[in-house]
Amino acid sequence: MFCSKKKLLEVERVVKANDREYNEKFQYADNRIHTSKYNLLTFLPINLFEQFQRVANAYFLFLLILQLIPEISSLTWFTTFVPLVLVIMMTAVKDATDDYFRHKSDDQVNNRQSEVLKDSRLQNEKWMNVKVGDIIKLENNQFVAADLLLLSSSEPHGLCYIETAELDGETNLKVRHALSVTSELGADISRLARFDGTVVCEAPNNKLDKFTGVLTWKNCKHPLNNEKIILRGCILRNTGWCFGMVIFAGPDTKLMQNSGKTKFKRTSIDRFMNILVLWIFGFLVCLGIILAIGNSIWENQVGGQFRTFLFWNEGEKNSVFSGFLTFWSYIIILNTVVPISLYVSMEVIRLGHSYFINWDRKMYYSGKVIPAEARTTTLNEELGQVEYVFSDKTGTLTQNVMTFKKCSINGRIYGEVNDDLGQKTEITKLMESIKQGDPKVREFFRLLAVCHTVMSEENNAGQLVYQVQSPDEGALVTAARNFGFVFKSRTPETITIEELGTLVTYQLLAFLDFNNVRKRMSVIVRNPDGQIKLYSKGADIILFEKLLPSHEDLRSLTSDHISEFAGEGLRTLAIAYRDLDDKYFKEWQKMLEDANASTDERDEWIAELYEEIERDLMLLGATAVEDKLQEGVIETVTSLSLANIKIWILTGDKQETAINIGYACNILTDDMNDVFVISGGTATEVKEELRKAKENLFGQNRSFSNGLVDCEKRQQLELSSVGEETVTGEYALIINGHSLAHALESDVGNDLLELACMCKTVVCCRVTPLQKAQVVELVKKHRHAVTLAIGDGANDVSMIKSAHIGVGISGQEGLQAVLASDYSFAQFRYLQRLLLVHGRWSYYRMCKFLYYFFYKNFAFTLVHFWFGFFCGFSAQTVYDQWFITLFNIVYTSLPVLAMGIFDQDVSAQNSMDYPQLYEPGQLNLLFNKRKFFICVVHGIYTSLVIFFIPYGAFYDVAGEDGQHIADYQSFAVTLATSLVIVVSVQMALDTSYWTIINHVFIWGSIVTYFCILFTTHSNGMFGVFPNQFPFVGNVWHSLTQKCIWLVILLTTVASVMPVVMFRFLKVDLYPTRSDQIRQQQRTEKKARPRRSQRSHTRRSSSRRSGYAFAHQEGYGKLITSGKNMRVQSPPPPTGLEKTLYNSTSRIEDLCKKTTDTVSSLGQDRTVQL
Amino acid sequence: MERRSRLQLSRLPDITAMKQQQLPAYQLHFSATMVFSIFFASGVFCLFMGIFLILSAKSIQKVEINYTKTCGNCAKLREDAFNHNKICTCSIPFVLAKSMEGNVFMYYKLYGFYQNLYRYILSRSNSQLLSKDLKAVEDCAPFKVSHKEIPFAPCGAIANSMFNDTIILSYNLNSSIHIQVPMLKTGITWWTDKYVKFKNPGANNLTDKFAGTTKPPYWPKPIYELDPDDPENNGFLNDDFIVWMRTAAFPTFKKLYRRLHRIHYFIEGLPAGNYSFNITYNFPVTKFQGEKSVVLSTLTWSGGSSLFLGLAYTVTGAMTWLASFAMLAIHFMLKQRKASTSKWQSKALKGQSRK
Repeated sequence: MFCSKKKLLEVERVVKANDREYNEKFQYADNRIHTSKYNLLTFLPINLFEQFQRVANAYFLFLLILQLIPEISSLTWFTTFVPLVLVIMMTAVKDATDDYFRHKSDDQVNNRQSEVLKDSRLQNEKWMNVKVGDIIKLENNQFVAADLLLLSSSEPHGLCYIETAELDGETNLKVRHALSVTSELGADISRLARFDGTVVCEAPNNKLDKFTGVLTWKNCKHPLNNEKIILRGCILRNTGWCFGMVIFAGPDTKLMQNSGKTKFKRTSIDRFMNILVLWIFGFLVCLGIILAIGNSIWENQVGGQFRTFLFWNEGEKNSVFSGFLTFWSYIIILNTVVPISLYVSMEVIRLGHSYFINWDRKMYYSGKVIPAEARTTTLNEELGQVEYVFSDKTGTLTQNVMTFKKCSINGRIYGEVNDDLGQKTEITKLMESIKQGDPKVREFFRLLAVCHTVMSEENNAGQLVYQVQSPDEGALVTAARNFGFVFKSRTPETITIEELGTLVTYQLLAFLDFNNVRKRMSVIVRNPDGQIKLYSKGADIILFEKLLPSHEDLRSLTSDHISEFAGEGLRTLAIAYRDLDDKYFKEWQKMLEDANASTDERDEWIAELYEEIERDLMLLGATAVEDKLQEGVIETVTSLSLANIKIWILTGDKQETAINIGYACNILTDDMNDVFVISGGTATEVKEELRKAKENLFGQNRSFSNGLVDCEKRQQLELSSVGEETVTGEYALIINGHSLAHALESDVGNDLLELACMCKTVVCCRVTPLQKAQVVELVKKHRHAVTLAIGDGANDVSMIKSAHIGVGISGQEGLQAVLASDYSFAQFRYLQRLLLVHGRWSYYRMCKFLYYFFYKNFAFTLVHFWFGFFCGFSAQTVYDQWFITLFNIVYTSLPVLAMGIFDQDVSAQNSMDYPQLYEPGQLNLLFNKRKFFICVVHGIYTSLVIFFIPYGAFYDVAGEDGQHIADYQSFAVTLATSLVIVVSVQMALDTSYWTIINHVFIWGSIVTYFCILFTTHSNGMFGVFPNQFPFVGNVWHSLTQKCIWLVILLTTVASVMPVVMFRFLKVDLYPTRSDQIRQQQRTEKKARPRRSQRSHTRRSSSRRSGYAFAHQEGYGKLITSGKNMRVQSPPPPTGLEKTLYNSTSRIEDLCKKTTDTVSSLGQDRTVQL
Repeated sequence: MERRSRLQLSRLPDITAMKQQQLPAYQLHFSATMVFSIFFASGVFCLFMGIFLILSAKSIQKVEINYTKTCGNCAKLREDAFNHNKICTCSIPFVLAKSMEGNVFMYYKLYGFYQNLYRYILSRSNSQLLSKDLKAVEDCAPFKVSHKEIPFAPCGAIANSMFNDTIILSYNLNSSIHIQVPMLKTGITWWTDKYVKFKNPGANNLTDKFAGTTKPPYWPKPIYELDPDDPENNGFLNDDFIVWMRTAAFPTFKKLYRRLHRIHYFIEGLPAGNYSFNITYNFPVTKFQGEKSVVLSTLTWSGGSSLFLGLAYTVTGAMTWLASFAMLAIHFMLKQRKASTSKWQSKALKGQSRK
């Protein structure tokens, strides 16, 4: 049934090239995307529907309807109508503009041009008109329009290079190759137009690294895999052109499938408010019922006799019906507990805080002229409650720039060293050694110039440009170049380098490629002298096992050096070589050939052979490359973890790289008791690994079946005793994308989460964009904690969208992350200020605001309840209508807004210096059920004082001229005046940071109150509108009576004094950290202005870093087969070479950067000479 | 390049105290000294004020006579609406043991009369009372128009239920000589009520001016015949009417009825002696189980203040004192304990942040 209903549910996709009619049968989605929500027609209904889904709006609508019924209306209808319409309109305008921009960006994307093969020629077509099955042509540096099957390209063998940064965040180039049958098509339009292959493949899905399908063409079947597919969102690099056939278009593309749905984000305070509104409504209903019953009884007992003066004229009413009507009337009167102005004020406050973020000079990055930007204005206080930060790695924590920093050659360290004072001192001079002809040093750089997978290319200006696959390799080759060993060019059989000015060509005899097990790569070359050498570089632990035993001394020395480098967060790599004799090599080569020719167990055989030859190595030394962190990352991370914020790294990168960066930026430390690595490939393996990790964590004596319960319990316990029952020490968890997939799909998800909760840090590597979002969702769902995701690329979009708060790093190439984010700034380090200063303040202010606002409105409204007992429960308001209308929007709105926007408990500097101050937000201590209860009690107390003191005083009193003053109007004015004064005094007590604005607003409000009072009570107003202003002259008579002022004074004293007492005792008995720091701040202010004292210590650690080759296996094969070598002599037939060679790719930029940094290092040496 | 620099400038946040959240500010802080001084000061103030108010409330001389039961026969008569034409008077003698000096005010006081009901308060027409439009009765439900669709003047429940007893105080020098105490019926309303809120349709010949309207159903006489003695005191400007129209806040209330005209015997106030109230009993209260009484009272500096305010001040003062002593005790106990631990605490705090 379900299937039949969902006809579109694809099981398999069948696409025929160049045949639109055929493909139309399947009704595949076209290439148009729309992320917008509304169009002109649907805007009003959908938007209104969405808005009235908010509890508050629905509540006010309900009240408005009630007020329109004359029988029960006790307040005029416009008191609710005008503000409600205003609020709805404001929100609607905001939504409309947002959607307008979405339309615009959709249009921009949809209208991009691409060349489509139609009617046997290339035609320009908008992206949105591209259909499944079309063949399109892409040029260098173009965005890919849809998911394509690569048919042919300008490069030999149908290769093409793509950058997938938008998809998975990896910036290294990836290679795709076309099937050989299709790559023969080349750029021959007529042949391409005749291409009529049919692709049968999987249905659209979100797996970026998997594709299975079959191409049937000319009665031959060709299997297709991910290597043949170019995904939408990629950028074509270093490839002149390519042709591809559209397989998935628009919403079916993997990019779109990976982008989570745009969700309307709410803060936890918002959600809490929704609950509170319901509670309050329940409370109102209770009050209403009490009063309604009272009314029924009163009408029955007293009102019946009183009816001669006030009979019921219409129909047959009885006391029960009267009670029923009274119930609704009181609901209307008492609704001011949650006035609309509350919501408006909250929005205004958040807007103010957003502006403060935009204006913050300390979050402005002058390097790229980018100020911080609050793109969403509704989440600010959530910034003060963050518990989990999910960070992307590349571009967020790191700059994605590799620099060759140091090396150890033959037991000597070269490069700059930071001594304790942080000054750079040279210890040896590398250039000198090279000049002097130290053979080891020369061999070292020769190795760096020879043993790699870099491709070189001369651009138009004759500059040598390297195409690197991984930036670290680029850094090494560039370093060698700067020290005089320039890698010039390579062919499948040779490598040419320029050694200190002389060209030397090495014969490449064998290429022992990298893979994850080997963790090393080697080349075997024959130098011009005929010597055969094996050059090897790789992870130190692996390589050290292969050394000649006689190298023990050097090994331990180098090992120490590597530890030292690693301690500074550098990526290290051991370098070794071996001299081979001809005969031995020939034998080995023969065996390799045999191995290659064999069919079964080929890989094992080859691996054995590699092992065989890579032994008895002579150690040359080690290199240390810095994967440059963004500025201030370490300080930020340290400070955030002091603030009890857990930082998780979610990256598409490899495990080694991720761990390395984890150490580099102090997320992982050596102090940690254990680091669990989960990298199992199957569900059972993962389960086993998790179980082991947990056993390790707790010791065997505990069982963990009740995992989640534990987790939550612990959270509560953390308040009182830190980790008393459970984990002592710090742990970290490292999990692989594949294992994560198993963990998330199966029932071990909870175990994983439990383990992750216990750990201080979690690093997830090799995760897809969607997995990033899933991890965030997992934490969100089970931990009820506020999550923040920060990232820079398109691969972070789904995570940014699904976290409570998404932060985008702006100033990068792609804009997707920023567009999807709620906040954006240019540097990771600003996160510290965003959270610890802006977030903390926002939360603090919002909580204070809410406390005061509820207090104020309870005090204001409940007076009606008390009065009900004295006015026959007749729904008579205590104050006059004008006061009720203006109280929340004029008399008391601005001071509380000023407090909500400007208040500060401790200074920004102290917020940064004492990250522990952040904790109340995470535990939600400042506004929770308890606080709300306290503020309700406070409000009730105030309302009692405000009502009963005047009541007692008015009971039997006469004015100074003997006239009675116990009339309703004087009573109303007295109550209103004391209420305004009491809440203003309370405001003054609550405001802890009195700026000029607070002064103006607080005093101004009181003055305004009296001005309006005198106006509405003036003769003139009464003369014009006698029915609207019946309080004429009241203020003159009431407020000139001494006894009324005495009443007001007593009311104020009685309602404020207890508060002062409780506050004083609270600070005295249970001072919070913020109180202590305020105290300190005060004493220090008197003494001297103080600077931040935190010293920026470098991490010192003894950890051995396993080098992460940031590139993939298989490049060696490409090189030796010569597939990726450009055929130099015959120029490509299409005349595209210009674009080809003019193109400056990102990689080249990168190389330049690396060159710059390294050359500066080189220059330093020269100066020393 | 130029464009870039302009862009640079436009995106650069200004360094203003406001935008960088560094406005100069005073940080409100309650130091122990400040709190204690505030508490002690306000405690002292409240206590003294309370005692002072109690004393002055005590100095007020007051006579209240509840005549609901005393004039029981009249009350019964009034319960039957058919007897509204019959006049019922009753006389209540009382002895003033001590003379009431100064200005003496006479009030009537009603118990259990709800002038503060929602529909009751609304049931009046300010436009009519201003004589803007005598026929503007739409707000006056349920007393808008008579059976013959003639609008009431004044309309509405408030006006209709006006208190209409006549109370005359006489001073009985002896059993034969009864002197009627001279009372003023002017100056008992608020100035704004008399001159702004209420207006007659014209200065004279009110009968004509009120043509086209009819008297409220419970009234024996039309609005322009309220005071037969003083033609100025008629129509909407009748003082008793204006006083009644100022609705009371609570079901028990007193309204000013007359004030002593200090001439002849009464130049100093009311001398001690025998008095009697001669009441023409018109206003029915037993119907709604209410009561009514007549009150004679003098004033003090703060008007006719009651004991409550004084008591409330005294209690508040006493509580404030108690609280401040308790706080003082707690504070010093803590201070002693803190002295030993504070050093350690601040150290720990600093250490933590530096870790």
